[in-house]
Amino acid sequence: MKKYLAIIQMQVINNIAYPGDFLGRSISIGIFLFIFAGLWRTTFAIAGTDVINGLTVSNMLWYLMMAETIELGRPRINRVISEQVKNGEVAYILSKPYNFLLYHFSFGLGDSLMRIVMNIIVGTGVTWILAGTPPSPLGWAMAMVTMVGAWILHFCMMALIGLTAFVVEETNSFELIYQKAVFILGGMLLPLDLFPQWLQSIARVLPFPYMMYAPARLFVKPEWGLFWQMLANQWIWVAVLAGALVLAYRSSEKVLTVNGG
Amino acid sequence: MKTLKFLFALWKANLQAAMEFRAAFITQIIFMIVNNGVYFIFWVLYFDKFGNVRGWTVNDMMLLFGIAATAWGASAYFFGNFTTLGEIIANGRLDYYLSLPKPILLHVLASKSIGSGMGDILYGVASFAISGYFTWDGFLRFFLGVTAGVCIFISFLTIIQSLSFWIGNTVALSQVALSAVLTFSLYPSALFNTTTKFILLTILPAALVGNVPAEFVRSFSWTSLLQITAGAVVFLVFAMIIFRSGLRRYESGSAIQVEV
Repeated sequence: MKKYLAIIQMQVINNIAYPGDFLGRSISIGIFLFIFAGLWRTTFAIAGTDVINGLTVSNMLWYLMMAETIELGRPRINRVISEQVKNGEVAYILSKPYNFLLYHFSFGLGDSLMRIVMNIIVGTGVTWILAGTPPSPLGWAMAMVTMVGAWILHFCMMALIGLTAFVVEETNSFELIYQKAVFILGGMLLPLDLFPQWLQSIARVLPFPYMMYAPARLFVKPEWGLFWQMLANQWIWVAVLAGALVLAYRSSEKVLTVNGG
Repeated sequence: MKTLKFLFALWKANLQAAMEFRAAFITQIIFMIVNNGVYFIFWVLYFDKFGNVRGWTVNDMMLLFGIAATAWGASAYFFGNFTTLGEIIANGRLDYYLSLPKPILLHVLASKSIGSGMGDILYGVASFAISGYFTWDGFLRFFLGVTAGVCIFISFLTIIQSLSFWIGNTVALSQVALSAVLTFSLYPSALFNTTTKFILLTILPAALVGNVPAEFVRSFSWTSLLQITAGAVVFLVFAMIIFRSGLRRYESGSAIQVEV
């Protein structure tokens, strides 16, 4: 356990070693929120209403702040795994006394932690100016709890994509498609509440809403019933995807060929 | 003429290199088309729910996406180093280009091709074709708008990344600039107030690669034409001046590199 904590710590230090670069990346969330503010203020003004499907403009902007925080803070571990497989570095990691998947889990967590914290700080500041006071402490608490499961789901998907490098040359394309699936079916750009009913039904049986919609929706509208329901579904998907990841890793190990040293 | 021949030779070499990994190249193209299509579902859902937003419909968004995607794709496919110029400068990798009797900036930018850019080009043209705004004279305006968009994308990022000559690493800055100009170019300017619109036409020229060309394709106007061409020329000249003055400060890293 200690060694994995050391990996997390190492990545956190790596992230803050270049403060200019680190702060620069956090500006992105401000830009996105500014655009979304323009889009949703105009939309509500044209619709001539304060509430659309139970959400106000302020709810929409805080929802998008949380969704963007998760998107910008999700682990990019697929790129690391894929590079390691392609350049042979994977052999070096496999020879070390730690579990390959747990190593990447810790590496990704260390990488995400500071980015999530910075995006929450910058995002909260910008959204407070654009949309007014933040949601209640209960909303924050429910969002934080469901963000844990959301992050693990992202990790599983990213690692699965990274492992495809064992069989295909180009893996970045899979990430792009996955990202867009989360944007749409995960409710990042548009909360599921605004979807047509048939699309909502499809989205809800997939893992994507539990990576994005669950924390963001509970953040702005904390409801106990919805919280337990979302949490249960989220962890069922965690179990399914973690199982798939372990199986995929075991079969990838079998096809690994290392030449030279 | 000599420069054009050189440029075509570079593009040919890039294509030949891509064809070495034909399956990967084609996969990138297909996936980029799918990626753009999935992203566009947001606008289909949005307009399905809210209808017309300040004169913008889903067809207008198809046109806007068509122009921005084609301009972005052409920049990435034909001038692939436009997103990594800062790293090349900061890492002292300009030496190779300086040792050859060719236009340096053009040589650096066109030395790399991003295969997925072709997917953006194909998606963009198809999006324009089905937007309901396709006419043959409209296609000429589309081509002009895209060409100006390519000049502006490349020039804007060259200006930002040329700061590497003075301040070293500009990776974070260029990523923010890139994401800002690309994201703003994909949204209707009708959503923003006058100050923001002014910014999008000047220091962050996203409107010049998205909204203004889209307006120009919808119907010819001298104002739009002037905005597009003047924007492209001014940004291009400015980029060349900044790059050249930065080049005087360039110090080689003396690293041994092989450019392939």
